[in-house]
Amino acid sequence: MARKHPIELFMPPNMLKAKVGGGAGGPDMAAIKRAEDAMEALKSEFNNWIAEDVKKLIATRARYSATPDSETRASLLRTAHDIKGQAPTYNYPLIARVAASLSRMIGELPSTTGIPLHLIDAHVNAIQVIHKNKMQDTNDKTAQALCVELDARVDEVLAAVSAK
Amino acid sequence: MSDYRFDRLKVLVVDDNVHMRKLVTTILQAFGVVQILEAENGERAWSLLRESNPDVIILDWVMEGMSGVELIRMIRTNPQAPNPFVPVIMLTGHTSLEHVRQARDAGVNEFIAKPVSVKTMMSRLVSVIEHPRPYVRTASFFGPCRRRRNANEYHGPERRSETPKQAAE
Repeated sequence: MARKHPIELFMPPNMLKAKVGGGAGGPDMAAIKRAEDAMEALKSEFNNWIAEDVKKLIATRARYSATPDSETRASLLRTAHDIKGQAPTYNYPLIARVAASLSRMIGELPSTTGIPLHLIDAHVNAIQVIHKNKMQDTNDKTAQALCVELDARVDEVLAAVSAK
Repeated sequence: MSDYRFDRLKVLVVDDNVHMRKLVTTILQAFGVVQILEAENGERAWSLLRESNPDVIILDWVMEGMSGVELIRMIRTNPQAPNPFVPVIMLTGHTSLEHVRQARDAGVNEFIAKPVSVKTMMSRLVSVIEHPRPYVRTASFFGPCRRRRNANEYHGPERRSETPKQAAE
């Protein structure tokens, strides 16, 4: 059967290859080594960066609590989502896990459903505790138990909403 | 060993998080990229894009105001975009299949799932240099073909049609 709309498929000229060359086509190992060294040097700043992110999360949580509207909700979600993505780089995988749980709750609850403040606080407090105590080991039993508990509470909230 | 002249590249980094921009620019500088433009939101990125016509864009998905996906749609379809074929590498904390599909449908070339690593960044850069994908233009889509192989051999229905019924025709 003929298509209703034509499909045009074409290959634009590879201007990028013409510009940067590179005969072998594999990764530039020397450049990778330089970048890994640069990342290592940057690590001294990671503690400040995670501290700023935690502070920002506390502030966005306070704004949502004071004015729970779509704007403050989106801001809280963006902050949690950023921490989820970046905390592993800063060597705080447990913070990333808690932030992922918070993102999931905010992201999956319908926009017309308010987010339970006590559960936001539980996540934010957990992140503060992990940061304050520099808990960077994913095998920490207390932190693991806390993460499992938060996941379970979020599951309950989401299940209750979907059952309505 | 490769001998890429990364110093000839002009890269636009778009992320509303200053730390992530610093991380990405640090990696790019170590690769040898000299011309790095930074934008803290989609609106600023669009302005820089039109002024500077970068060779590659590294873009965050979740940003205040215009999202990364919205910006890619503009890059691919707005007549004022200087280069609708510019490779876009999306940085994202979203890793679900649905999110990947959404970004691919908007016209993303490559993904980097956070946390960012040096090796992944190099791999995606090499990929857009060495393995550019063909482009597809239909009534409802313009962007890189999602199929990496044998794109010319596809004879099935137009799956990005506006309605499921039309797609099935």
